[in-house]
Amino acid sequence: MDNVSDRESPPRAASPRAPEQLHFTGNGAEYFGIWIVNLLLTIVTVGIYSAWAKVRRLQYFYRHTEVVGSSFDFHGSPGRILVGRVIALAMLIAYNYSVRLRSPLTIVILVAIAVVMPWLLRNSFRFRLYNTSWRGTRFHFRGAVAGAYRVFLLNGFLTLITLYVMAPFTHQRLKAYQHDNSWFGRTQCSFHARAGQFYKIYLLLLATIVVFAIVIGLTGIGGALAALSQAQKQGGHPNPIAVFRAVAVLYGALILMGISIGPVFHALITNLIWNNTRVGEHRIECNMSPLVLIWITASNFVLVVLTLGLFIPWAMVRLAKFQLESVRLLPAGDLQEFVAAEPETIGAVGEEAATAFDFDISL
Amino acid sequence: MLQANYFDGRSTRIRVVDLSMAGDDLIIAGEDIDFRVPFADVVVDERLGRAPRRLRLKDGTFCEVRDLDALDILLSSAAHRDGWVDRMQRHLQFVLFSIVACVALVVAAYKWGLPWAAAKGARTLPPAIGRTLSVQALKLLDGKILMPSGIAEERRQALSAQFHALQLPEGGTPGSELLFRNSPQLGANAFTLPDGTIVVLDDLLTSIGDDPQILAVFAHELGHAHGRHGLQLLLQSSAVGAFWTLYVGDISSLLAAAPAAIVQARYSQDLERQADDYGAALLMHNGMSPALLADALKKLAESQSGTSKGGYLSSHPSTDERMRRLRLLGASFREK
Repeated sequence: MDNVSDRESPPRAASPRAPEQLHFTGNGAEYFGIWIVNLLLTIVTVGIYSAWAKVRRLQYFYRHTEVVGSSFDFHGSPGRILVGRVIALAMLIAYNYSVRLRSPLTIVILVAIAVVMPWLLRNSFRFRLYNTSWRGTRFHFRGAVAGAYRVFLLNGFLTLITLYVMAPFTHQRLKAYQHDNSWFGRTQCSFHARAGQFYKIYLLLLATIVVFAIVIGLTGIGGALAALSQAQKQGGHPNPIAVFRAVAVLYGALILMGISIGPVFHALITNLIWNNTRVGEHRIECNMSPLVLIWITASNFVLVVLTLGLFIPWAMVRLAKFQLESVRLLPAGDLQEFVAAEPETIGAVGEEAATAFDFDISL
Repeated sequence: MLQANYFDGRSTRIRVVDLSMAGDDLIIAGEDIDFRVPFADVVVDERLGRAPRRLRLKDGTFCEVRDLDALDILLSSAAHRDGWVDRMQRHLQFVLFSIVACVALVVAAYKWGLPWAAAKGARTLPPAIGRTLSVQALKLLDGKILMPSGIAEERRQALSAQFHALQLPEGGTPGSELLFRNSPQLGANAFTLPDGTIVVLDDLLTSIGDDPQILAVFAHELGHAHGRHGLQLLLQSSAVGAFWTLYVGDISSLLAAAPAAIVQARYSQDLERQADDYGAALLMHNGMSPALLADALKKLAESQSGTSKGGYLSSHPSTDERMRRLRLLGASFREK
């Protein structure tokens, strides 16, 4: 990751201002009130309020995120989010129906979903960015529909037929499509990470999984087999302590793998993506520690389970604070210079459909 | 006097202004800015924690205020009232009430709302869906949990003949098939698929032995078929699965547990009583005593005591109470 070292060998001539750290000022107790009222009203209204709840949630997080002394804001309208949710739910039901009941309709429905999905995802990017602002200036997404089809259908298809060998490349193309087409006011963003850098992280991940598999294979299963064969030779029962130790190693390795792979991958890939994204001439630096992220996700999970979900608001705030505060803006010049673009209107259909199908692509 | 940042919505430039009220007007004053707007035209963002609040003007410009307490004083002088959701999420009593209300609503929905909606749904759904689900469930279970029956062909045919000879009471639901299977895991058991097909396991036939009593069990299962209890339970478990999916967030688990739910069906006491009532009516319609079902239940209870294996009665709660009801019906039947 070349750009990280860029920071050390100071390009201070081009960057006359000090780095600006992002701050998250929300706290769990405060958010709990918003979260529980959202939950209650959502239940009472059989889910209809969930659109309003989403706006409140996003506004809470956006407005508590600050950089250079000013916070972000979210402007999405609940009515549009609700319409989007209804369409998303219809698609979800059609999808489940077609997967479970194999009829000639199945293929028609799946093809229709595949054809419509890239367009919806592009719309979801547009909706999310258009409704995000900082200091009264909005973001925009200007990616063409053709680009969405190239990334999601063409690259997605290539990924599948190459048995995921192309996955890092597709990931890089997706982030390039997203970030190269993002604007802040009249200032365009740009993405500079190469596919090779994505491959490095994916290969590291693969190597880690292989190492885990070997450890599990040798110490866990191997230990159990050794204990069993020894027992067979002596004609008695297997040594319970040896079997227990083997099983403990096996489960220990599995749990360690389960809690570490996801966060490590997320931290590395997020760092890569944001370190290679620029807003005009301004650079971004992201320094998320994989170890701290493992600790936060694992402890959040345990506490959410132990409190039957009541810890969720604290968990969300904790995670957001850690992730956002690992980001710094490296201004290349005056931050008062951004100029807003002409207003436009964008529907929420895409965003809702995308989240319903669990394509959470944004950071 | 209240300090704020004024943004014109056209650039990111910050302009520091002072806000004050004069009559019904809001005065915004700072370097090269000095104007007033009717406060009625100002939209005030709700309070979200300690986040800065914005006063939005009609022309798309806004003032961002960080001193929330000072803003409250200004707003009260302008007779502004925060929205009710806004107030709700900041008051400890409302928050505590919300916790209790959420738990109570979820429990109530699970206990009463869900069975009611599922029963309605099961009666509305076209029979083809029950048919498809049953065929799929059988395909999945056959060869894994369900094995071919080991009962002699002639005996099976005899039982089938008696089963099909049963006269349905008025308004009964026809069309149930009878299938014979064996299952070491499920033991002495019988269950009804969503389309009304009854699957009876070898252990149940051998434990009861007596044909009229076996027919009484079939009559009870026909009650489940008549009430569409299989489909109702399936809908219920799907809804619970969907709820967990939303709460925990994993789409793949949705409906995945459906085939298992059919065999592990734990009917509520209410559904069992409905099936008993239908079974008793059916038995009497055919000149048989409802007490036969009580006898069958007794045999099953005896054969299962001492084994940890799940059986017919493990999914049928409070057997004693059911037997008492059935014997009462049997006594009144004999008097006629």
